[in-house]
Amino acid sequence: MQITEHQIDDFKSDRKDIAPPLPAVLRLVPLVFYCSIAVAVILSSIFAIQFQLAVQKRENHKTATASVAVQTQDAKNQRTALEAQIKKATDIQNWVASSRPLQPLILAITRSMGPRSSIVDLRLDREADNPSQIKMNLSMGTDSTKQLDLTVEKIAELNYRAFSPTQTLGRGQLDYKATLVHQDPFSHQNEEAHR
Amino acid sequence: MNSIDLKSILNFSAFRPEPDDPSASWKKRFPAEKTVFFGLGRGALSWRAISRSGTPGDLESVRADPKEVLVQSSDHIKPLTDHGWCAVSLCTRYVISLETNLSRRSGSEEMLKSNPRGVLGGRYERGKRYALTHNPETNSSILLAFDEDQVRKTEGLFTEAGFRVGRVCCGAYILLKHALVSANTVKGSEQPVSTFYIVCCEGAVCALVQDQDRWLELRSRTDVYEEDLTPITDLLAPFHSRLAPEIGITLVCDEPMEDLAERLGKVFANRAVIDLSRPALLATLMVQN
Repeated sequence: MQITEHQIDDFKSDRKDIAPPLPAVLRLVPLVFYCSIAVAVILSSIFAIQFQLAVQKRENHKTATASVAVQTQDAKNQRTALEAQIKKATDIQNWVASSRPLQPLILAITRSMGPRSSIVDLRLDREADNPSQIKMNLSMGTDSTKQLDLTVEKIAELNYRAFSPTQTLGRGQLDYKATLVHQDPFSHQNEEAHR
Repeated sequence: MNSIDLKSILNFSAFRPEPDDPSASWKKRFPAEKTVFFGLGRGALSWRAISRSGTPGDLESVRADPKEVLVQSSDHIKPLTDHGWCAVSLCTRYVISLETNLSRRSGSEEMLKSNPRGVLGGRYERGKRYALTHNPETNSSILLAFDEDQVRKTEGLFTEAGFRVGRVCCGAYILLKHALVSANTVKGSEQPVSTFYIVCCEGAVCALVQDQDRWLELRSRTDVYEEDLTPITDLLAPFHSRLAPEIGITLVCDEPMEDLAERLGKVFANRAVIDLSRPALLATLMVQN
């Protein structure tokens, strides 16, 4: 014989509205609810951390941008100062380059004088602002214009070009006025080479 | 759906049986809750805390009017529970008898609660609550009858003391069923069991003679003993002459009583005594089932 019944007989007065337990599969409802809360908390934490990191990153970026702006301004100031120095140096270089020595010119004029010619007066003026232009006033004691042509030729050999030349021939004296501008003979070639 | 229903779903209590659902075991009803197990005798009240894991605690017992004990000790006992739920073992005012030819139709167990007359026929008495255990090999059955007024009074007594009664049961009947389940383990009639069941539970004694799987005689008395165990042996001694020589003794008590086995050995000379008693056995069975 086998007796397997273990259930305890209950004599308590039964309550009429005892409801059976809900099906076990519906445990998924609170489980999903708690999981969603957990996921929401985790995601909120991640978002909060990411937000803090982003704020910190933005602050760092702002700081870096300000630092770069300061550096850029410093560089601009340095460049401005450097450009000013360059301009000054270039002006000085141009001035030095344009203010060619007058001794070769004087020597060439002097040597161009023939046997019956002499220099009465020679005046070379040069302005400080425009040293490349030489205002020449030459008074020669001569009877013809041949001596002037020879002298102008000698001047031209020194690569000086005469602008606004005027000449006045009087009694045995020839006055010549011109503005001499030195021209670099290689500059024209360099320009063609550049083209 | 109100907030209470919503709360019960969120704390998963809606997926467990209700605390006073008699169809569910105590462990399923209170899976992580402290409860108390009371033993109610005619002149004594005992209680034992059940922990959240379902482990019975130490037994405390007071021999006095249970109503007075409950009033005086309720402040001490209530903290042993989380929400006041308790189970009560009634050890008085019940009758266990041996019956034959009771209905065993399907659904008779449910019918025993709703319409006991349909199951018990002429043995039905008005104002009683019943429980049945059938012998699968014969037409005999063990019938437990409780006075309905006594049950209601007991429920009222504990409710007034601030407790919530989740179960009212009969300790001696539970132990008798435990002994029957333990002794009769082989299906069929090829290995018949013969033994003399002796059940002692908080002053109540129940004795059942089983010979070749047949239940021959049953005797049940409440409030038989207190401290002195002599009334037990006096009650059981007449069985010695009526038992077949090869029948042993299966003893089960709610708490181990070493002297009792020794005394029974003297009364029932030359009979093997199998003692199924264990500490807190009744409380353990009550929690597990």
